[in-house]
Amino acid sequence: MAVVGTCHEGSMVEAGSRRMVCCFIICLWAWCLWVDGSYFGGKGSTLCTAVLPCSSASLCLSGPADCEEQNPLGGWVGGGFSSVGAPLMCVPFHAEHFAEKEEILLDVTSRLWFTYRKNFPAIGGTGPTSDTGWGCMLRCGQMIFAQALVCRHLGRDWRWIKGKRQMDNYFNVLNAFIDKKDSYYSIHQIAQMGVGEGKSIGQWYGPNTVAQVLKKLATFDTWSSLAVHIAMDNTVVMEEIRRLCQSHVPCAGAAACPALESDVLYNGCPEDLGLRGRLPLWKPLVLLIPLRLGLTEINEAYIETLKHCFMMPQSLGVIGGKPNSAHYFIGFVGEELIYLDPHTTQPAVEPGDSGCLPDESFHCQHPPCRMSIAELDPSIAVGFFCNTEADFNDWCQQIKKLSLVRGALPMFELVERQPSHFSNPDVLNLTPDSSDADRLERFFDSEDEDFEILSL
Amino acid sequence: MRAAPGAQPDRPFKLRKSLATRREEVAGIRAKFPTKIPVIVERYHKEKYLPLLDKTKFLVPEELTMAQFITIIRSRMALTATQAFYLLVNNKSLASMSLTMAEVYGDYKDEDGFVYMTYASQEMFGCLLPIAQGKTVECFQKI
Repeated sequence: MAVVGTCHEGSMVEAGSRRMVCCFIICLWAWCLWVDGSYFGGKGSTLCTAVLPCSSASLCLSGPADCEEQNPLGGWVGGGFSSVGAPLMCVPFHAEHFAEKEEILLDVTSRLWFTYRKNFPAIGGTGPTSDTGWGCMLRCGQMIFAQALVCRHLGRDWRWIKGKRQMDNYFNVLNAFIDKKDSYYSIHQIAQMGVGEGKSIGQWYGPNTVAQVLKKLATFDTWSSLAVHIAMDNTVVMEEIRRLCQSHVPCAGAAACPALESDVLYNGCPEDLGLRGRLPLWKPLVLLIPLRLGLTEINEAYIETLKHCFMMPQSLGVIGGKPNSAHYFIGFVGEELIYLDPHTTQPAVEPGDSGCLPDESFHCQHPPCRMSIAELDPSIAVGFFCNTEADFNDWCQQIKKLSLVRGALPMFELVERQPSHFSNPDVLNLTPDSSDADRLERFFDSEDEDFEILSL
Repeated sequence: MRAAPGAQPDRPFKLRKSLATRREEVAGIRAKFPTKIPVIVERYHKEKYLPLLDKTKFLVPEELTMAQFITIIRSRMALTATQAFYLLVNNKSLASMSLTMAEVYGDYKDEDGFVYMTYASQEMFGCLLPIAQGKTVECFQKI
């Protein structure tokens, strides 16, 4: 274990071979833990599979409603859509069966892992050629968004298997994040788009910054045609989301589509529009909710809610970190979060001569890192993906249910429509009321500060 | 007592005045304005991006919602809709936007009779190279 400590970034950058040896030792050690069960199963004992109805012998396949019944020590990797189309599959981390562990590791390995890179084409032509030291939140933004693109184009059940030939759409997703100026969501695009958010190239981002930038970049990605919504002020307004996801419906303004705001899953416009079948009626939704769950440390009252978010089939995970280093959190086990860490500098990858992209360095092939939930910096953004309107309605139902769970303080509020006056501060009388001011009568003559009186 | 010019202007309100003084102040103002809630709004001491408000003490109508109150403060600071802004009650909790001030007051009132709110944006993440190396050690040791 002492050897492991020598494996820091400096040695990785300078001596690739040493890194190989080092990682091998880590893997061996991790493997031992894995095999003897102490890696994921060390803390708890109750198997989620023992509590939940399972439709598979080796894997817990369960709807979100059942998840509430699970042992609080259970662990989950967020998000899942089963191959049969219903939102399903929370992967239990307290898996005793080897097949389950393998399935879980496969889930982790299948995520796109974006790390610091060096020797990529200079950003903006003359800017940095590496993002080491500043790009970690940008990389985390890429990871959570890549997960959305995977769900969108490949499905949540899609798995990456080393050496196995992948479909074209997989490479299309990967290409959207490659370190060159014209990829949809490259570090180049994110860093340059950040200038509009007041961030110069090379400056650090917060979860909200990267979310705002990704939202802007997504408008150019006509291939994915995503609706990206960022819920500000810890409030999710359902009406805004419905409007956004249905905004491109060709007949949105026409009387032919009366049911825009109803909960009915309508099947679309009249046949004679001729667009049916080609245009989806609900743009797949990426919902990002930037939050601050405390000042210096996370308010523990939110921890249970945070865990529940990972358990939802629509979960894309969470971006955030420990102070100063960003991580992409994908699940939890007991009181620990499981994350992918961008803090490893790898050389930039260029397409090979045949045009194919060497993709192994985009998948984390060692067991993921873990950290105590209490260590989480309070600044985060929680992500969800709703492919269909039904997914979104289901998500709303789960959030409403979650607000009734005792001991789980809501991290955000779900409301049908924008609270009145919320968007228009002019409606409020913001100036101190003169009659109030008279009544104040220099009440605090001896004080250095007065009250500011607000009136409606 | 008036603070000397330039002397620790950022000292939190609670530390500037004794509990007795604050209690007295609340009792006086509540007697005069029984339907208004005394609120202290301060900037998180580590906040680097949001501006300081020129006032700390507010008397807020009890039927005002958190959403309305936050809209007022956001517009005071001239923040854009995409800028992160969080108002944490008692340094801990994000009060629900639909709660009225009276409800927030009922839940979170301090022993002195004020309700305390602190505003902050979000932390930024990144690290200088030497720190990055340290973090990497830490990360790999955990595996």
